[in-house]
Amino acid sequence: MFSRLASDAEMEKRRADEFEPGPASPLKPVDRFGFVKQDQNNSLEAKNRPTNEVEREERRIRKWRKMIGVGGSDWKHYVRRKPHVVRRRIRKGIPDCLRGLVWQLISGSRGLLLMNPGVYEQLVIYETSASELDIIRDISRTFPSHVFFQQRHGPGQRSLYNVLKAYSVYDRDVGYVQGMGFLAGLLLLYMSEEDAFWLLVALLKGAVHAPMEGLYQVGLPLVQQYLFQFEQLVKEHLPKLGQHFSEEMINPSMYASGSDISVTKRFMTPGPPFVWHVLGTGVKIVFQVGLALLTVCQNNLLKLAFEKLIHALRNFPEEALDPEKLLPLAFSIKVFVTYSISF
Amino acid sequence: MAYMSDDDYDYLFKVVLIGDSGVGKSNLLSRFTKNEFSLESKSTIGVEFAARSIQVSEKIVKAQIWDTAGQERYRAITSAYYRGAVGALVIYDVTRNATFENLERWLKELRDHTDSNAVIMLVGNKADLRHLRVVSTEDGKALAERENTFFMETSALESMNVDHAFTEVLTEIFHVVSRKALVAGDAVAVLPKGQTISVSMEDEVSALKKKVGCC
Repeated sequence: MFSRLASDAEMEKRRADEFEPGPASPLKPVDRFGFVKQDQNNSLEAKNRPTNEVEREERRIRKWRKMIGVGGSDWKHYVRRKPHVVRRRIRKGIPDCLRGLVWQLISGSRGLLLMNPGVYEQLVIYETSASELDIIRDISRTFPSHVFFQQRHGPGQRSLYNVLKAYSVYDRDVGYVQGMGFLAGLLLLYMSEEDAFWLLVALLKGAVHAPMEGLYQVGLPLVQQYLFQFEQLVKEHLPKLGQHFSEEMINPSMYASGSDISVTKRFMTPGPPFVWHVLGTGVKIVFQVGLALLTVCQNNLLKLAFEKLIHALRNFPEEALDPEKLLPLAFSIKVFVTYSISF
Repeated sequence: MAYMSDDDYDYLFKVVLIGDSGVGKSNLLSRFTKNEFSLESKSTIGVEFAARSIQVSEKIVKAQIWDTAGQERYRAITSAYYRGAVGALVIYDVTRNATFENLERWLKELRDHTDSNAVIMLVGNKADLRHLRVVSTEDGKALAERENTFFMETSALESMNVDHAFTEVLTEIFHVVSRKALVAGDAVAVLPKGQTISVSMEDEVSALKKKVGCC
């Protein structure tokens, strides 16, 4: 499920091909999500997906389509009638091809879009933002290894700039904060600019869920809160490891921050993983996955001292990240966080 | 010099890299610790970490270097990393005047959070971009003199002065520590092996004091 976070490589390749490829960028092999492969042999992706998995995926997609209805018309009704079914299916993972639409439905951003016609265009074209230069500087530093965002001034980079600029005008108090690009960039792999913008608004301002703007406000209050809470959870659930972390003076800001797209590699700072906060089952899942990973790797981590420990926490082994094993374990961990919002 | 960060060292010094977003902090770090440079690097969110050991006066000095996000908003997280630092590279981009003008704010921030004996160097990076340069070497030097810090111009891309800058900071920290040990009437040699040295005269507990690195 996590590895399916990003978009389908085929789609991205097609999208990228519509525009002239830069002369200096020969076609490099990408994984199924559109990221340029670093190491072609040492990856789970290298293996073809077995047929039964493909069939299972197709069955899932059919179920989801029925649940959503045409253009999302049946969604609200279904959620009201069978919330437990919806929750269970979200846990199993939203099929990649429907993710963009479902995220918009869950977050309430569809409603915002419909209620505010022309607003996005106004923000992009007619307003100026104090953060324009800051945004430009980060554009080429956001997912530099993804085909959609690689091309200088290409469609990916242009959309990303527009969404970030629009948001920085829409919410001048928050403005532009580094890290937003990774969130907006992820959304852009699944939907149009305008949809991505309103989803960002829905997430940060809270359309139907609690707002997450504390991730980016001055002082980063929500980041601080999450880091603190995760540290407490580690002590509670994995006391030995918690003790080891204190002795080695390791705290979550050292390993749980970052910009990687994979929730399992870095899970705390205002990067893409926080899409989960609203687009899945609440922030609780982020904590659960973090705890599950630490549980799986505990024996190894306990042996390591400061430097190697940090390295290990930032580079979990591929086998530990296998969602088929990791997720059941994550869901089995009982995490009580009072502020957590549930779907 | 090896690029491995060995577990075998005599001194462990904590160093921070600070400065505006996009001045090249992460590339300076990767050039120094891995001899790598990337034109396509990601912006740093939060903090990153790397280490490298060098030899100073027949002792192995290990630098534990924290690379921080440059955007002001992130100081809520990054300023915690100044604590216990005995050295800092305060970096600006010689092609962007604003990054130079912000140095005083960075220095203030640093001095508010670190010990007065911490070794500070102003680093003008991207010196390879000669045709785009807007901050002259003289201006950089003058500010360093006024602020009583070390000064160096570097290019992470061309690998110019990068080792030199870090080595100078680490050597100076080493000297501060040696002098301090002498003042205290101790021979340097009796300082516990592998212990992080705090340069504070008050002997404040360094954030990494317990980091005895042998395993």
